[in-house]
Amino acid sequence: MAKTYDYLFKLLLIGDSGVGKTCVLFRFSEDAFNTTFISTIGIDFKIRTIDLEGKKIKLQIWDTAGQERFRTITTAYYRGAMGIMLVYDITNEKSFENIKNWIRNIEENASADVEKMLLGNKCELEEKRQVSKERGEYLAIEYGIKFIETSAKASIRVEEAFFTLAKDIKAKMEKKLEASNPPKGGHQIRATDPQKKPTSWLSRCTLL
Amino acid sequence: MEQSTIETDPNEKTSYDLYLQEIEGIDDYWGPTFRTIFDNHEHLDFKRKLEERIKHHDKDIERLCNVYYQGFIESVTELLEVRSQSKNLNKQVVSVDKQLQKSFQSLSKSGSELLQSRKVQSNIAVVIAQMNLCLPVFVSYSKLQKQISEKRYYPALKTLEELEHIHLPHVANYRFSNQLRQKIPKYRDKIEAASMMDLKDFLENIRKFSPKIGEVAMRHTSEQLASDPTVVGRKKKRNFLNSEPRSNYSEEDLSAQELIDFSPIYRGMHIAEVLGKVTTFEVYYRSERTKQARLVLQPPTNMHESEESYRNYIYAVLGFFILEDHVLNTGRGLITKVFLEEMWSVALSKITTALQTHSAYCTDATLVLKIKDLIMLFCTTLRNYGYSVKPLWELVRELRDHYTEVLMQRWVQVFREILSKEDFQPIVVHGEDEYEQILQSFPWDVDLPDDIQFPYSFPFSSMVPKVYQQVKEFIYACLKFSEDLNLSQVEVDEMIRKSMNLLLTRTFSGCLSSSFRSPHINLQKITQIIIDTGYLEDANIYLDQFISNVTGEETRNITSEHAMFRVAREDAVRQICEKLKQKLNEFLELESYDWNLVEPKGHASSFISDIIAFLQTTFHSFTDLPPEVAQVACRAACDHIANSMFTILLSEDIKQISMGALNQLNLDLLQCELFAASEPVKGLQQDELLKYFVKLREILDLLISWDWPTYFHDYAQDNSRYKNVRPEIAIILLEKLKEGDKKNIFTVLNKNERDKKKLLETVLKQLKQLSAK
Repeated sequence: MAKTYDYLFKLLLIGDSGVGKTCVLFRFSEDAFNTTFISTIGIDFKIRTIDLEGKKIKLQIWDTAGQERFRTITTAYYRGAMGIMLVYDITNEKSFENIKNWIRNIEENASADVEKMLLGNKCELEEKRQVSKERGEYLAIEYGIKFIETSAKASIRVEEAFFTLAKDIKAKMEKKLEASNPPKGGHQIRATDPQKKPTSWLSRCTLL
Repeated sequence: MEQSTIETDPNEKTSYDLYLQEIEGIDDYWGPTFRTIFDNHEHLDFKRKLEERIKHHDKDIERLCNVYYQGFIESVTELLEVRSQSKNLNKQVVSVDKQLQKSFQSLSKSGSELLQSRKVQSNIAVVIAQMNLCLPVFVSYSKLQKQISEKRYYPALKTLEELEHIHLPHVANYRFSNQLRQKIPKYRDKIEAASMMDLKDFLENIRKFSPKIGEVAMRHTSEQLASDPTVVGRKKKRNFLNSEPRSNYSEEDLSAQELIDFSPIYRGMHIAEVLGKVTTFEVYYRSERTKQARLVLQPPTNMHESEESYRNYIYAVLGFFILEDHVLNTGRGLITKVFLEEMWSVALSKITTALQTHSAYCTDATLVLKIKDLIMLFCTTLRNYGYSVKPLWELVRELRDHYTEVLMQRWVQVFREILSKEDFQPIVVHGEDEYEQILQSFPWDVDLPDDIQFPYSFPFSSMVPKVYQQVKEFIYACLKFSEDLNLSQVEVDEMIRKSMNLLLTRTFSGCLSSSFRSPHINLQKITQIIIDTGYLEDANIYLDQFISNVTGEETRNITSEHAMFRVAREDAVRQICEKLKQKLNEFLELESYDWNLVEPKGHASSFISDIIAFLQTTFHSFTDLPPEVAQVACRAACDHIANSMFTILLSEDIKQISMGALNQLNLDLLQCELFAASEPVKGLQQDELLKYFVKLREILDLLISWDWPTYFHDYAQDNSRYKNVRPEIAIILLEKLKEGDKKNIFTVLNKNERDKKKLLETVLKQLKQLSAK
């Protein structure tokens, strides 16, 4: 099968229920917006291929359920993720406060070198804002991650957010590849290969 | 003197005396006397005698003169006197003459004048006499003119006749009479034309008026119906509708016939009779009316757009036939019953077709209802006039089907609306009120605990009560049509049940199915829909009871069978599988096998790991998915993965495959098999899912273990380990392996490798033989 892409990045969206993760994803993958709120059950994903610095990058973006009852399911996906979008709702103080919990979650479950980013969504609702942009920036600096305020509904900076994250992942990965083994000339770099997945059912597999 | 002679010579009478006597006696003829004297020679004597005589005479004369002289004088004097007198007289006479002359002049003048006058008088008398003869002609002529100008053609015609036969013969010698005589036929023609004109006007007029007549007649009928106590099921609405305009249109309470002046027809008839052209008239009238009928029966092209145009059409047709009926009854054979019946039967079929065609376009249920009411009223009115209306009743029945059809379409919109706004989430209520409200709008046949904890979550989504309510609405709407239709309860009941079944099984199911096709629908929604359909099917019993209450028929005791939405559910399941496959395809697109891999990586490819993880979470999350659906979905997923992997392996794009790559594929397959064996969904038979991977498993086993002897030995046997491996497939894969192996053949060409190659060739040959069979 001929490859239609150069890299495959797995991204993950996390954050409280109702902050607009699915909408952000929907905006990015289909450039559309759906006002009705349907909470995500378990996990879903969308794929979009983007052009970045002359490379075709396939983004497989996982959309997790924010609800607590799906936590066990969603954390299973942290490990495979190369980039994580932490999403909060600027009109919802609680969702912002919970970002710390989510980051802890990442630290516990994801690989250490995962690229992270903080998204303050629903920035079109300026009059309902509860979390100032400065607080978002402050938090981002504190954790050493990038920060962008977006609006899925008004289509503000959603593309930018994903491109930025993808660019960072690409840079990090290429650097790592160069460091470990100098380029062989082939462009078939299996981004996912180094990912070990020591889940229970896989362990049996390795024995074989 | 003679006296004197005589006196003088009375004794002397001699010859001379004779002579003298002769001379004196005769004045003229003296010759012979003288001759005799001379002859007797007495002349001398005679002479003397004569002298004497003369002297005698002179003396006489002298004495005489003396005697008469005085008298003479006196006479002269007298004469002179007379002269003056006569002069006087003359003068007088002249003056008198003058006077007379003068007076007579004027007299003669008046005399001539009198004469003139006399002449004139006599002339006048003559003229008067003649005039008296002519007068009736003129009188009747002017009467004729007047009558014509007043359009009283029949009297005009009569006058004309009179003129022709009575008056004109008397004045035949006049030129005008001739002219008149010549004009008479023209007048006849003119009158005929005029009466035809009148008829035309009348026809035009009634064409204008007939809708009005139809309208009035319809109103009368509806009033009659409304006040008729024998007609059951009459709606108050209608009374109300009709009683109100009554006061405003009191003048329109006139009967239809009174609205129109039929006299032109009767007049025309009379005239035609007089002219002897009754047949022409009849033919003309009938053909014109037939033409009009054609026009009237031609429905306006946009009739289906509004009730108004239907109304107008029906009024026009009705008016037309009411008029015709009237003409039949009063027109003295202008039209015959046969003619009218014939026309009606043609008209009836046309009306039926027109209404049929146009109502078929109608997509507004309210309009259909109105049309129905119109047709009903139309029928009743027509029947009152003795027209047969059977096809129209048929039409009403057809219209009922159409109405149901239209309602269905409307409810398609309603359902779509509901579905489009639906979030397909179980209803969550936060309080007693909301809870009660839901239970009131939807009969949920379940034992509910008394102590409900709020927020309480119903198992169904808000669509269920909404749809239930809408079905009820639909039933009401269906019922509306049966009103006034004089159908039996059984019929109504039958109809409504049929319609409702159609609505649910066709319309609503259709809406559901189309909502599955929406690109934004996700697995979760479909799951909810499946659950919702179950609840709606359970509610069918209540709908059945509801219909019975409405129609008064007994319930059918329908048991809630889960068949109503079977199609929709199957569709939903198919859709779930479809969605799942789409997702799986997205994963499979990320497949990135290195077909020249020397050594397997020791663990499954990431896309397979992702697929398995995704499926696990998916089936884990959808706990409320009905087990059978989950099973179907799971089977479909496994089947799809197995097939896809097989397709990848056999893909023509891959020319070479290394053993390493095969081993990697084997690892991936193992992952899948693990998943299949792990009972991802409850209720599946053991190893059921594994079956889907068997084909791939066997070929991989065969290739990796290189167990060709067994394969060939057990070929086509039921207990063969590789019974699912078809030789053609094996050939393809062997060729690929051979290609993948080529590099190695060049590097190390030792005996071992040669044997290996020989074996490969043999196997290929064997396989080809098998596949050729």
